[in-house]
Amino acid sequence: MASVELNSITKAFGAVEVIRGLDLKVEDGSFTALLGPSGCGKSTLLRMIAGLETVSGGTVQIGGTDVTDEVPAKRRVAMVFQNYALYPHLTVAQNICFSLSLAGVSKAGQKEQGDRVAKLLQLEHLMARRPAELSGGQRQRVAIGRALVRDPEVFLFDEPLSNLDALLRVQMRLELAKLHNELKTTMIYVTHDQVEAMTLADKIVVLDKGRISQSGSPLELYNAPANRFVAGFIGSPAMNFVAAEAQEVGGVFTATLAGGSRISLPARSASGKIDLGVRPEHVQLTAPDAPDASLQGRTSVVEQLGNTTYVYIDTSSGQMIAEAGGGVQIAPGTQVGLQFDVERLHVFDSAGIALPARPA
Amino acid sequence: MSVAALSRKPGKRWNLGTILLTLLTVICALVWFFPIYWALLTSIRTDDEAVRAGFSLWPAHPTLGGYLYVIQHSNITRWYLNSTITSVAITVLVVFMAACCGYAISQLRFPGRTLLWWVILASFMVPVQGLIVNHFIIIAKANLLNTYPGIILPMLLSPVTVIVYKQFFDGLPREFREAAVMDGASELQLLFRVFIPMNWGVTTALAIITFIGAWNSFLWPFLATKTEDMMTVTVGITEVQDAFGVAYARVLAGAVMAGLPVALAYLLFQRKVTQAITLSAGIKG
Repeated sequence: MASVELNSITKAFGAVEVIRGLDLKVEDGSFTALLGPSGCGKSTLLRMIAGLETVSGGTVQIGGTDVTDEVPAKRRVAMVFQNYALYPHLTVAQNICFSLSLAGVSKAGQKEQGDRVAKLLQLEHLMARRPAELSGGQRQRVAIGRALVRDPEVFLFDEPLSNLDALLRVQMRLELAKLHNELKTTMIYVTHDQVEAMTLADKIVVLDKGRISQSGSPLELYNAPANRFVAGFIGSPAMNFVAAEAQEVGGVFTATLAGGSRISLPARSASGKIDLGVRPEHVQLTAPDAPDASLQGRTSVVEQLGNTTYVYIDTSSGQMIAEAGGGVQIAPGTQVGLQFDVERLHVFDSAGIALPARPA
Repeated sequence: MSVAALSRKPGKRWNLGTILLTLLTVICALVWFFPIYWALLTSIRTDDEAVRAGFSLWPAHPTLGGYLYVIQHSNITRWYLNSTITSVAITVLVVFMAACCGYAISQLRFPGRTLLWWVILASFMVPVQGLIVNHFIIIAKANLLNTYPGIILPMLLSPVTVIVYKQFFDGLPREFREAAVMDGASELQLLFRVFIPMNWGVTTALAIITFIGAWNSFLWPFLATKTEDMMTVTVGITEVQDAFGVAYARVLAGAVMAGLPVALAYLLFQRKVTQAITLSAGIKG
């Protein structure tokens, strides 16, 4: 096991700077997810840790050793690729033991190590097959096995589940979580799927345009996003945003929405143009003329998922999503009121930065 | 979909166009095959019958005399050996060097890479015949005329093989290379343990057409050999012609024997040969 430290890392492809002076410490034994939209630089960052990409500036340390100029094979890291990258001409056993074979490990040693990994990943019955004869999930397990056999200090995963169907993805997610619990090896996991990041990682690093937008535990990011980007990226369905004008009225800061309704902002000090953020589960549907309704609108789409219902409402402030109970029956086209849980409102200034709550 | 369309049986529909096209194809095939048939036919005629006036599609007295004569009175076993040695050596070396070169140009980044690539592409513009005098002078100055290296070395130039390999390596997902690099593979291990074994079909196809080309080559082995014991089979059969004048049955028996290994190679590896021709067709334009 080893920690990973990135110090003032920059990466440019010609004139295009994709990573901009990034500092990051991945704790020893942690499961860290690098999360962000396409093009944010998360895969490039992972490849720089692996040594597959050179760094334009800064240093990479693994286990306290500077490995910035070290070749990938000597960094004590193993990587699982998005498309598995299994050698099609080799059997599962040969794929898993390929690195050992290159290192000159005896056949008996390779078999012993291969069997150990196969048992851990339940691949024993597939060892003689070739990748073309495996399902997506099995291929993924072989790819993990190939990384595992090297006994690395850091595991790197580059969107490893994105080629799997939804059901298999959930299953593999669970297996990865179990694997981490068992091995306690440092794992860095790149994904654009916030659900994967939330469920697997104990630390999420949200990247935006080559910079860290926020890092922290999944719940920290969910409950206290540092900016509008993170607030909108974390959570499914995404957070609702409402433009408002904030001012102090009688010692209490109040936000006036486009429709003229007012929401008091307890423990906030905001003024001028702001954005209010509210998650769908903190929006309650009321009668349109209810006195505590902050917005009124008409339901456009109703998604019934069984345990919950997502209601999409067209309002004067744009489309809003409310989460209702599983048994709620609402027809599209119904006029409704929206009541926000004021205590759970997120307030962002005009630059999109979250305004912190005032100390009580 | 109409009922007629649904009830139509799958398979080829015969109409006038299809029939005419098939007839044309059969005629072309017959025209192409006739000289081969005639050579085979003549090789089993007697010498008298071979020069007799008239036309017949089957010999009056079929005989293997021509073949027996070539086997007994010429150096053909030695020529076969020479052809085998030179063709196998050329095939192995061309495929090995082309794979290395194609890999380097495709996968490695080094100064002059683009220039090297253009030089290889440009080498297409110079026909082998245009280089033959230079080759002769170089090989003669190196005292390699009438030796195996002298026959083999100039025939190792094969830009098309390099280009086919380069294109093949270009098409492989970069993750394979990266996975192997993470596993600690050196460049040579990457080439010979990952890249080439991943698709033996390309190498097999290139090896077969290189072998056929080397076996069939005539001009350079003809210039590079001086004595009968160093001749390849294609050169050697001209000696049969010289020795026996217009003994067509024997000459054509020699020719058939010279072409036999290539014909067998083609029959055995038809699909691979076609694949190789397809691979290189786009390049040759």
